[in-house]
Amino acid sequence: MSGTASAALAGGAAATTPTARPFSQRMVPYLYVLPAVAFVGLFLLYPMVVTLWQSFTSFDGITDPVFNGLDNYVELFADPNFLLSLRNTLIWTVASVIFPVTLGLVFALAINGIRGSGFFKTSVYLPATISAAAVGILFTFVFDPGNGVINAFLEAVGLGALKQRWLFESPLNTFAMIGAYTWQQTGLNMMLFLVGLQGLPTEPLEAAKLDGCSPWRLTRQIVIPMLAPYIVIATLLAVVNGFKVFDLIWVMTQGGPSRSSETLAVTMYREAFILFRLGYSAAIAVIISIAAIAFSYFYMRSVVRQETQI
Amino acid sequence: MSAAAMAGDRPRVGREVAFIGALALTVFWLLPLVLLAMNASKTPEEFLLTSGLEPPTTFNLFDNVARAWAKGLSSGMVNSLIYGAVGSVGAVLLSALAAYGIVRLRIPRGLFWFLLIYSGTVFPFQMYLIPLFNLYLDTGMYDTRFGMIAFYIAICIPFCTFVLRGFFLTVPWQIQEAAALDGASSWRTFWSIMMPLAKAPLILLILIQFTWIWNDLLFGLVLTKSNDVRPIMVALAGMKGVYGATDGPSVIAATLVGSAPTLLLFLALQRYFVRGLTLGLGK
Repeated sequence: MSGTASAALAGGAAATTPTARPFSQRMVPYLYVLPAVAFVGLFLLYPMVVTLWQSFTSFDGITDPVFNGLDNYVELFADPNFLLSLRNTLIWTVASVIFPVTLGLVFALAINGIRGSGFFKTSVYLPATISAAAVGILFTFVFDPGNGVINAFLEAVGLGALKQRWLFESPLNTFAMIGAYTWQQTGLNMMLFLVGLQGLPTEPLEAAKLDGCSPWRLTRQIVIPMLAPYIVIATLLAVVNGFKVFDLIWVMTQGGPSRSSETLAVTMYREAFILFRLGYSAAIAVIISIAAIAFSYFYMRSVVRQETQI
Repeated sequence: MSAAAMAGDRPRVGREVAFIGALALTVFWLLPLVLLAMNASKTPEEFLLTSGLEPPTTFNLFDNVARAWAKGLSSGMVNSLIYGAVGSVGAVLLSALAAYGIVRLRIPRGLFWFLLIYSGTVFPFQMYLIPLFNLYLDTGMYDTRFGMIAFYIAICIPFCTFVLRGFFLTVPWQIQEAAALDGASSWRTFWSIMMPLAKAPLILLILIQFTWIWNDLLFGLVLTKSNDVRPIMVALAGMKGVYGATDGPSVIAATLVGSAPTLLLFLALQRYFVRGLTLGLGK
């Protein structure tokens, strides 16, 4: 805080000097900033602008892109593959809030402050330390219809009738993958809620307990409302991430069978790098971006609000 | 504080129930990993013929890892080690330079330069893929280690600059003024004063970015094709596609080995990671 204040003061003083300083000296700060700007500009900003332009063209990667206005966008909303992918993406977005965030909250409330909570915390967070691709590979074996542990377990407890070809039927495969995703993401949400629980003020809790409030009522009527800002942040973060999920699906089903489990990120990849409809694919990328930026905006807004409150 | 107080007031029986419940939950949560590790030591034949719940009759884990090692696990791990190390350190260095230039050297319109760099993290990755792929084909960077390192540096810069800008704003100005009075150049001030001060955030950032690069699948998929360049996650996904049906144990073993570095990194540095968690949320 004082740093920014004195920086502003110093900046005000410096504003009068640049003309007095020689050109070579005035260029010094740019030398420090230039390398980072060059990397970001060449590898991130330039491709971004080109993608936006290409989304208004017909482009196969070999001949030059041909401008075709909004044709790609119009075509998308009549394309059954895209509409199915959009539906799956919405399922993913909603489910990634419902399962990992809710479970994360339940786990955090369950293990907060109990004996051995450090061990429980580490164990549940462990899957979040390995990559989505690795989780996808491992759970392909877990869901294997022949010797996977899920079917083996169902068989063992006498529910053999419930055995499924988990990753080969739509929409079952989307829900199976959401299961794997939940296994990975719950720990992250739990950590967030544990941070929130650590920061709760003690007075209202003590007062409620003195009034003879039961643990259940305490949790439901006092702790959870006080955690509300964290619930908002976890939810928005889950939406941002669930909307963009790619690695897990690509590894587990590649969006199949016959494109039935694709999300927008997978459809974009397939259209570009397998079907080479690059302009069409760029339009999907733009649609993903618009949605992601909208979600990120709300996320950042609530994070900033939360920080200013603290 | 409040947490301990809450639990402390629970009745004794309630506390035992909570403990046993949490233990059951944890066992259930880790069960897939345990069962997979068990299956990773079966022979391929035994794996195909037995159910996933049956323990192996022989111990073949090392044979399975050795087969996977020869089929791309080793090259994937070596590549990702290079990308993770060079990419994270390179990005953190360039970001530190930029943050120093913006905050401490008061580049004119500093906020503009910061937002220009930071805007690289606003858009989803899909926005980069197609032009990047074409750029890499046109310039000969496609399927080269150099190309992968350059890209990983670029993608890590916005977030690192964001964090280091925040850090440099908190460094007292007297330190820099004293250095200037002693006649230290901007470079010397950066290298001998600012960088040592920033050690903690620098190390944390290197760890976060190393993990990110190690876990990346998408850019490896788009920008590489040969074994010698593929990062680890692309190698594992490729192995699953080719050998998943015939040699399950070696694919599972390879995935566990390939995931071990980030997992061990987390276990070793847990305390710092949890602190960095709130920091890394935007990524």
